[in-house]
Amino acid sequence: MPNTPTSPAAGHLLTLLQLSDSALPTGSFSHSLGLESYLSTEAVHDEASFTLWLEKFLSQSLAYTDGLTVRLAYEAAGGAELARIDALVTAAAVPRQIREAGVKMGARMLHVATNVFPTPELEEYRLQVQSGACSGHPGIAFALGARGAGAPCADTVAAYLFSTITSLTQNAIRGIPIGQNAGQRVLRAMHAPVLQTVDMIFGLEVQDLGAAAPGLEIAQMRHEHLRARMFMS
Amino acid sequence: MSAIMAEPPAIRELGPSPFAGTKLVGELRLQVGTRAGKGIATRQYHAGALRILRPHYLDDTAQVCYTIVNPGGGYLGGDNYGIEVSVDADTSLLLTTQSATKVYKTPGTFVRQDMVVSLGPGAVLEYVPDQLIAYRGASYRQFTHVDMQQDSSLLFCEVLTPGWSPDGKLFRYDEVRMRTEVSVDGRLVVLDNLLVKPGADSLDSLLFLQDYTHVGMLLAIDANIGAGDVERMRELAYKIGEAQRTEVHLGISQVPGPGIAVRALSNSTEAINAVLMAVIDALRHHLRGQKPLNLRKY
Repeated sequence: MPNTPTSPAAGHLLTLLQLSDSALPTGSFSHSLGLESYLSTEAVHDEASFTLWLEKFLSQSLAYTDGLTVRLAYEAAGGAELARIDALVTAAAVPRQIREAGVKMGARMLHVATNVFPTPELEEYRLQVQSGACSGHPGIAFALGARGAGAPCADTVAAYLFSTITSLTQNAIRGIPIGQNAGQRVLRAMHAPVLQTVDMIFGLEVQDLGAAAPGLEIAQMRHEHLRARMFMS
Repeated sequence: MSAIMAEPPAIRELGPSPFAGTKLVGELRLQVGTRAGKGIATRQYHAGALRILRPHYLDDTAQVCYTIVNPGGGYLGGDNYGIEVSVDADTSLLLTTQSATKVYKTPGTFVRQDMVVSLGPGAVLEYVPDQLIAYRGASYRQFTHVDMQQDSSLLFCEVLTPGWSPDGKLFRYDEVRMRTEVSVDGRLVVLDNLLVKPGADSLDSLLFLQDYTHVGMLLAIDANIGAGDVERMRELAYKIGEAQRTEVHLGISQVPGPGIAVRALSNSTEAINAVLMAVIDALRHHLRGQKPLNLRKY
């Protein structure tokens, strides 16, 4: 007897999978977001130390920056609110390379999203970026694309966080280096922290956007003059 | 007490309070302008646990220095403080504190300080307070809004340290946030949203403090801070940092505005201060031809 699906596959699942795919041409493979500075001091040097670092990065930094940006952009009522979120998250990237990474990856994510999953909101945001009124941020473009496909907000935030975690893990596989299987173990170990972080993000407020840990910011700033860099941030 | 200014409040002239609707434990509103070639408070108001000392002139420039005093001695849970500072066109203000700000245990709540700064064309504000000391169980949130012009100049720094218990052990405070929003000509340029949660152990604080205890930050926004200046400041700060007996771990980056941001971690207030003061002095010299800052407090 052939298997029949108990419920039809949700169309938004495929949109989230595509937007979260590490092959999406956003350039995330060239950004370590400060990790490379921890590699250079060997504070991060193996699977265990990377797992610990990644969990802290997720819950103590990414939640407040991109994670909260995705949620707020998803919930935004219109272009003016999106412009405010764009301005806050860009201004909150105090280390230069982190600001540049956001603008670069934002432009590419926006390009993909407007081409593949066009919505009036994405088009309006694209025009705001084109005119210079907005800087462009990958979290905002991702949120608008996912919302347009009918993805629920929590799934959208979880998918974005896990996508960034996946990029950083692939960078760690090359950068530490650790094996592909070790990388998969790290990703599996991040499932629970990602879900906890999504919960936490729903308890945050606009004033929390861009909250930054000083130790991480120093690592991100010192990356500007690191010798023998593999990554742009 | 004779040093404390006793002029009547001039709220009407200062306009509506930015803290209206908030019950404040201490409120200070200060407008500084230029009279007879020198900076001076033209309007001021204080209430509750915040006052200012009479003005000083620390060098041969027109820059006026005011010192904020908290006669209450320390901040307690649920306390709200409000400080409004307006600097008129082409006036220079140095704002400091009389002593460290102490935040004690704040069970179930936090201390909040709001600061609203407005800088006119060509105005200068240098805000160089003593360190903030957070004791065990303390939560502190500081919100600063700066509205400045293309040709005004801002220099803002903070040092955050843990309190010591009577037996000499370091306290772990709960959380400190210092959120500073700077707009130039009405456009947001920098949101410096510092968050420190020391957590239970050094693994928890890997990204916040690593194995250090003290945090320093500096933010300067001025149209004349170029990329080359940022490189020079970095070299200087690293050199001064390396000369300290206690290690200073620091980072420097260029921010929009344009400007510069400094972050420092250490186990010593003196070591962090040495690095921040070197950057402050270099910026004062480069931007205004002013002599090194001597607050004459020590």
